[in-house]
Amino acid sequence: MMASLLTSAPSLLNFLIFFVLSALLLGAVLGFVTYAILAERKVLGFMQLRVGPNQYGGRFGLLQTVADVFKLLIKEDVIPAKADKPLFKIAPMIAFVPSFAVLAAIPFTDRFYFTDMGVGLLYFLSLTSITTLGILAGGWASNNKYSLLGAMRSAAQMISYEVPLVMSVIGVILFSGSLNLLNIVEAQSTVWFIVLQPLGFVIFLVAAVAELNRVPFDLPEAESELVAGYFTEYSGFRWAFFMLAEYVYIFATAALTTVLFFGGWLPPLQWVPGLGFLAYIPGPVWFVMKFSAVVFFFIWLRGTLPRVRSDQLMEFGWKVLLPLSLANIFLSAFVFELFFK
Amino acid sequence: MLGLAKGLAYTLKQLGKEGVTSNYPEEPVEMPDRFRGIQRFYPEKCIVCNQCAAICPTDCIQLTGKPHPDPNNKKKIIDTYDINFEICILCDLCTEVCPTEAVVMSNNFELSSYSRDELFKDMDWLHENTKNVREVNRP
Amino acid sequence: MIRTEEMILNVGPQHPSTHGVFRVVVKIDGETIVEAKPVIGYLHRGTEKLAEDLNYTQIIPYTDRMDYLSAMTGNYVICHAVETMMGLEIPERAEYLRVMAMELGRVASHLVWFGTYLLDLGAMSPFLYAFREREMIINMINELCGARLTFNYMRVGGVKWDAPDGWVDKVKEFIPYMREQLEGYHELVSGNEIFLNRVKGVGKYDAETAVNYSLSGANLRCTGVKRDLRKDEPYSIYDRFDFDVPTETEGDAYARYLVRMEEIRQSLRILEQCVEQFPEGGEILGKVPRNIRPPEGETSVRIESPRGEIGCYIYSKKKPQPYRLKFRRPSFYNLQILPKLLEGENIANLVTILGGIDIVLGEVDG
Repeated sequence: MMASLLTSAPSLLNFLIFFVLSALLLGAVLGFVTYAILAERKVLGFMQLRVGPNQYGGRFGLLQTVADVFKLLIKEDVIPAKADKPLFKIAPMIAFVPSFAVLAAIPFTDRFYFTDMGVGLLYFLSLTSITTLGILAGGWASNNKYSLLGAMRSAAQMISYEVPLVMSVIGVILFSGSLNLLNIVEAQSTVWFIVLQPLGFVIFLVAAVAELNRVPFDLPEAESELVAGYFTEYSGFRWAFFMLAEYVYIFATAALTTVLFFGGWLPPLQWVPGLGFLAYIPGPVWFVMKFSAVVFFFIWLRGTLPRVRSDQLMEFGWKVLLPLSLANIFLSAFVFELFFK
Repeated sequence: MLGLAKGLAYTLKQLGKEGVTSNYPEEPVEMPDRFRGIQRFYPEKCIVCNQCAAICPTDCIQLTGKPHPDPNNKKKIIDTYDINFEICILCDLCTEVCPTEAVVMSNNFELSSYSRDELFKDMDWLHENTKNVREVNRP
Repeated sequence: MIRTEEMILNVGPQHPSTHGVFRVVVKIDGETIVEAKPVIGYLHRGTEKLAEDLNYTQIIPYTDRMDYLSAMTGNYVICHAVETMMGLEIPERAEYLRVMAMELGRVASHLVWFGTYLLDLGAMSPFLYAFREREMIINMINELCGARLTFNYMRVGGVKWDAPDGWVDKVKEFIPYMREQLEGYHELVSGNEIFLNRVKGVGKYDAETAVNYSLSGANLRCTGVKRDLRKDEPYSIYDRFDFDVPTETEGDAYARYLVRMEEIRQSLRILEQCVEQFPEGGEILGKVPRNIRPPEGETSVRIESPRGEIGCYIYSKKKPQPYRLKFRRPSFYNLQILPKLLEGENIANLVTILGGIDIVLGEVDG
């Protein structure tokens, strides 16, 4: 369906269909964010022998996030007196808009996707960097020293980890021969890229966690050092937008990891005789399962690890991840030339 | 990497364990008998010896006595007895020195209120504080 | 032309990792600390001055509020000072109860340190695991003396309450459980590479500096100086127990971590022996005169608190109140090395170093 829609001539009806579908995706993502926050708090709670939210929406606190968001929306909008006002206001938007824009590139199943872009992967990776501008602007505009330190750390971290992130997926591109995410998934019909690219996967995961500013790389908002980092001065719905951007990125990154390394919507182990029945489980279910596993892993990391120190973070990025990802490219090239040509 | 993996395994193991938190405001917390909470006062037992006010480290107890209604009885009886819970540190010394056990600790600890004035408790209030009163006051 | 300048950053008094109302004014160049000035006194209540108007029994609840994480040692030091002056005999059973309460307090105090330190470093879970065990200790002490934090348990000449029925068995059951949990902590934290990278070599000083700065407790023992007043100048009944004084030689934050974790194990050993030797019956309060009036003169005692040497100096004029009272509060002395340690460090190390010193602001400010 999508393929024919994408190739059809532009028309008002066409526009309307895409508008409705985008709105649906937006709703789905917002629903995901709502319950991802709840899931995070619940899983962390269970890991820490607590129960997590249990006050609103029954025993499992199903409406807790809704209540939180409602509280944020009706909060007074505070802008510090010495802040750079236009920049302060625009920063959450700069941070938030690219997080939604990248979702366009992700194919959810073989029939449900929004673009069939030749450079889908490149589009994704380049757009995610824009968010850092928002963080940097917000930290600068707040006119707060903690915010400034947090924003600077964020910029440094983004520059350091964007490089290995891009390098680590080159192996995947080599094997699939395409930057198109649809083609990348289809190239994994026999064996997933996590098997062919174990090193690339580890580098990608580490760099992705760093890009997401999550534990153990949550330096920009390092609570115990910088109070709240770049959004120290933010409150109410502006703060909510920063948080929303963060969780939408979790959605996007988990989806991208699924697509790049876990074979997207494809069932696993199809070359093993007797496991053919797995193909009867529909693609979207596979996608959601793999996706949830990645999200759980992010939460699990948060429940366990302490924070990395900023200078060690840089060292790790440049001295360990970058050489490793370069080595991975060479290794992948050799393996590809020797065994897959 | 091994250390990280061990740590991850440890937190994963905790996932299935039962929580250790209590559902506090809904379910009251049981305190042991010796717990030092808000005092209960028995006016009929008090002999107005003033020892509790003297031992109090923060001077939060104020009491006055009046002559016994029976003119033949030389003993005094208690007239007012106030404890200021703004400064009371619940140290238990007043119940320790009381010769007649006219003031004893209870297990109630919920003192929060919207006004400081409410923390000033008089004799009647302290007498009506009847729940969870300590059973064994002396070692 | 790019111009750079130093920035003054006020860390505290309202900051998540200053462990209370403590403030450090740091001058930073980028993320490097050029100069650090601690500002203390936000929690000063004048305990020593107040004590001059109070009876000795009335001072005991005030000592609870100095080092509120191990109030038992505060209780003990004032009682010990008065008992030394008056030459009082303490009943056997009371001594055992005191030692058990103090060692339980030491374990609880180190657990809080472990949890909050990891929280400073960004790991959230160890905090809740440590508090699970601490809650058990607090509940046991609550049963013993009727309070969870401000114990007011000891009296001049003994203790206020005898152990309730089955209390000693509870302690006995707790010891193997705690050992098992301690293994879990090591599994969770001690091998973690991120943690090791953050604490190894951070806030390093040698034995000479530590002695010159009058450090005590784990802050001193991490440099290899084997000094523990429980061994060196045994007070109470500590000479009856068999335990080791853990030391490390590195003198960095990691060494302090290891020393404190090992101290929990040694405290459990002491507790184990206490439970075994616990006398069947007997008095819990010795023969104490009705009015406590120590003879004229002065005395000074010191004991080992979880944070270091806590001392008490009393100048008595044979009155119910001391003429002058002074506490040597270990947190206050340990804190003095902070500006020296912070100089030239990364701002992220500020919380690592400050947390590693293990201060309690109630004790620093007195």
